[in-house]
Amino acid sequence: MQSYRTIAVLGYGTMGSGIAQVVAQSGRDVVVLETDSSRIKVGQGTAAAFLDEGVKRGKLTAADRDQVLSRITATTNVADLAGVDLVIEAVSEQREVKAEVLARVAEAVGDDTVITTNTSALSVTDLAAGLPRPERVAGLHFFNPAPVMAVVEVVQALQTAPDVLNSLVRFVENLGKTAVEVKDRPGFLVNRLLMPYLNDVVQAYDDQLATAEDIDVALELGLGYKLGPLALLDLIGIDVHRHATLSAYEATLDPQFAPPPLLGQMVSAGFLGRKSGQGFRTRTRTEETP
Amino acid sequence: MTTKTLNVAVLGAGTMGAGIAVVAARAGHQTVIRDIDDKAVGRGLDAAHGFLRKSASLGKLSQSDADRAMANLSGTTELSDLASADVVIEAVYENLELKQQLFAELDEVVSPQTLLHTNTSTLSVTAIASGARHPERVVGTHYCNPAALMKLVEVANGRHTSTQASARSIDFLQGLGKTTVVTKDRPGFIVNRFLIPWENNCIRALEAGMGTVESIDAAVTGALRHPMGPFRLLDIVGLDIHREVSLRLYEQLRDTRFAPPPMVDQMIAAGDLGRKAGRGFYTYEDTRSFGS
Repeated sequence: MQSYRTIAVLGYGTMGSGIAQVVAQSGRDVVVLETDSSRIKVGQGTAAAFLDEGVKRGKLTAADRDQVLSRITATTNVADLAGVDLVIEAVSEQREVKAEVLARVAEAVGDDTVITTNTSALSVTDLAAGLPRPERVAGLHFFNPAPVMAVVEVVQALQTAPDVLNSLVRFVENLGKTAVEVKDRPGFLVNRLLMPYLNDVVQAYDDQLATAEDIDVALELGLGYKLGPLALLDLIGIDVHRHATLSAYEATLDPQFAPPPLLGQMVSAGFLGRKSGQGFRTRTRTEETP
Repeated sequence: MTTKTLNVAVLGAGTMGAGIAVVAARAGHQTVIRDIDDKAVGRGLDAAHGFLRKSASLGKLSQSDADRAMANLSGTTELSDLASADVVIEAVYENLELKQQLFAELDEVVSPQTLLHTNTSTLSVTAIASGARHPERVVGTHYCNPAALMKLVEVANGRHTSTQASARSIDFLQGLGKTTVVTKDRPGFIVNRFLIPWENNCIRALEAGMGTVESIDAAVTGALRHPMGPFRLLDIVGLDIHREVSLRLYEQLRDTRFAPPPMVDQMIAAGDLGRKAGRGFYTYEDTRSFGS
């Protein structure tokens, strides 16, 4: 029976730092692989800031925070990953980038280590096919922000061995999350349902059904959603959503995944949502109040 | 805010009608519930009084405010009793001919300044208003269930609705304590326009074996932080109601995303209508319905 004590996280971006934090909070040791020291600093800063906020809100003590951070080390040397029990890849959402890192890491950790990818838009089966012993490869799809979101999708690639999948389900539950087992289909389960809905809203907005604010308010008050769809898109990033839904469209040729033209135009204009200061609900220019 | 006391009439003493009557009476308006027979009117008034009494006992409303609201409520079966109404809110069964006929009859009774509101959820405001001699004062005002608790009202102007009637309606609704959003007169307005394809898509994912009832609900509540998963919600709405709303939108939009998936028909055939039947996607010990 597999039990994962030492975990390698690949990539110290938003998802990587969140995942490293969740794993370290479960009492495990984490080593994060990044390409250079400046990116490591950014990742460490993200994790520390998130935990500081928790201390401020009384969710954990300063001692807890220090202990969690002390369990996370970082490296730029792939050889430092030798001996880990489990790899969670969370690098940039590009097939070539992921395939290249995973191949290098697979060589460093050896053939028995379970390797997972946090991809949201790519095929786990396809990534597994590029690695030796693909039966030890699966998907572990965390949601953003990883420390907050209660669900992790455990993705079974065509090659994934059942005992690997079961051990990952137990691992996720041990992290205090709900494991949802899903097949390797575009968007898995949550994004498979979410993307058509978001596309539908964007098209209806472009067709002038109502203002962006009124669409969000209606769905927040009418259905109890924490965040209306257009505010959610601003948070996800217009470019990120467009990339994900386009990938699903290319994999399925199902028109409900086809990104509405407005999304491409917003990306061209640099209106990427919250991170760029301009999106559906985000405005830097205040004179545009309706 | 001081609100002028108005004469408000609610047509239809069902769940929505009674809920809307509570909202109007609570805001200080003289409110009359009209239905076709005394039994229906009595049931609606009982439901409204019951809600107000419960609000008082839960401390959501002071006893004197509840008493005042109850004193504002009355009932009638006569359309002619609506002659002095400032606002008429139609909340009868979701049938176009019935609504058209009611609005035509109202034209003979009420003053030309009276606002006529329809609480339709799936029909066209323009089509409903076509029965009226003055379609310019007909406005779609779609409340959410339970109307006495839910803040949202979707406001939809028909093709001939005047901007003045629309603006007066929004003032009136805000005076009731509602949050209004303005939408086009399109099938499903905003909420049902997006909810119905969402629910149908979740049912299709279940049919396709992408997850179980429990795992899909857990994924949606956990990852998207919806207050309820799609199948819990469908059980509360009722599979029969969901099918009806889906079909009505599908007939207007001819878009397959609105068409109810085969599993809905199978569940209805099996009597698995949801919470009210004790069995839907989940099974329930009791058949208590939402809001009761």
